[in-house]
Amino acid sequence: MKTLKNISVQIAAVLLMFLAIPKQGDAQIVNNMYFNADWQINVPLGNDFANKASGWGANFEAGYYLTPNVTLGAFISYMTNHKYVGRETLSISNSSVITGDQQHSIFQLPFGASMRYSFAPYYSMFEPYASIKLGANYSEMSTYMNIFKIHDDTWGFYLSPELGLNIFPNPEKRFGFHIAAYYSYATNKASVLTYTKDNLNNFGVRIGVIF
Amino acid sequence: MKKLIPFLFAVLLFASCQKDPDLDKLDNDFVVFTNYDTKTNFGAFGTYYLPDSILLISSNAEAKYWTDANAQQIIATFAAQMNARGYVPVADKDDADLGIQLSYVESTNYFYNYGSSPYWWWGYPGYWTPGYWGTGWGDWYYPYPIVYSYSVGSMLAEIVDIHGDPAAGSKTKLPVVWTAYMSGLLSGSSQFNLQLAIRSVEQAFAQSPYIKTSAI
Repeated sequence: MKTLKNISVQIAAVLLMFLAIPKQGDAQIVNNMYFNADWQINVPLGNDFANKASGWGANFEAGYYLTPNVTLGAFISYMTNHKYVGRETLSISNSSVITGDQQHSIFQLPFGASMRYSFAPYYSMFEPYASIKLGANYSEMSTYMNIFKIHDDTWGFYLSPELGLNIFPNPEKRFGFHIAAYYSYATNKASVLTYTKDNLNNFGVRIGVIF
Repeated sequence: MKKLIPFLFAVLLFASCQKDPDLDKLDNDFVVFTNYDTKTNFGAFGTYYLPDSILLISSNAEAKYWTDANAQQIIATFAAQMNARGYVPVADKDDADLGIQLSYVESTNYFYNYGSSPYWWWGYPGYWTPGYWGTGWGDWYYPYPIVYSYSVGSMLAEIVDIHGDPAAGSKTKLPVVWTAYMSGLLSGSSQFNLQLAIRSVEQAFAQSPYIKTSAI
């Protein structure tokens, strides 16, 4: 009885091992491609204008497998961060002054190309990877004062390294979960009232799906 | 090029995902903006004339004036601020160095009717005309950039330099040496709105310390 049980466990282990090795041709919904859709939390770094972490963001990415380890693709994401500033008086020129409390906001919309290197693409349900994103970053730096909104829209160059992990619960790898941590740097320069912002640095976490 | 169109469409779609901040966190106090002519020496003036009504900028083609008790409280606040800065009120505008004109935006209809002018209110019927301050004044003169888009509920205050007293018909430009723009979201309570307006007038003077006689 004990032997039978051991054999059953071994068979189950072998079956599980086979489940973890997908058949290369059946992977992904579109052959040789993957798609990510993520919710993201963005944390501004070195940003006094709008420094509150925010979960109002998302990331979408698609990539093509150049080799079993290397993909080339495109991405687009967005995030908004805010900060409340109490009532204050600001000299906005040598003769004009404005008083009011404010809600500061920075919206970012980076998009461009991404390259990903997967460390273990075909023999594990866990697929860790490192990637780099390069592209453009549209940003709107704005302040809301009562019924007014003052904003500066800018474009910058965007660079973002990322470490992530795809988790495929089934061997065909048609659908899985995705988690990643990123840092991003953008060259946007903006000014609103007396505030200026030169470069945007962020850290964040993405949680989503891969298919 | 055609392949780019869906991509650009996607970018625009994502741009609409911008999240506005929680505007309920903002207090109810009016935003107060002031500007002035840096070449004007306010210490050189001693008297002022303040009309007993506030012009209502509305959708009416005829001039309307706000004269009730609430208006009088706002006017009294202006007077108290000017007095505290050492200026003396006079009953006849011909004797005044400075004139104060107060307006309240009840409707923004005239934005569109006078949009072609750099200062939309120039053609507004009943707006303080330079001629109100003396027959020698022909046009306004703003020595600084001004706001030319106002919202409903905004209060405008301007101080004009009328001490020159030009000859009748000379069409001299009348300098507007100080302007204040006070605006916010109005509540359903007129009493509360009045308090906000009064506080904003006090703030307009607080952030304009240069308005004072040489004796202060």
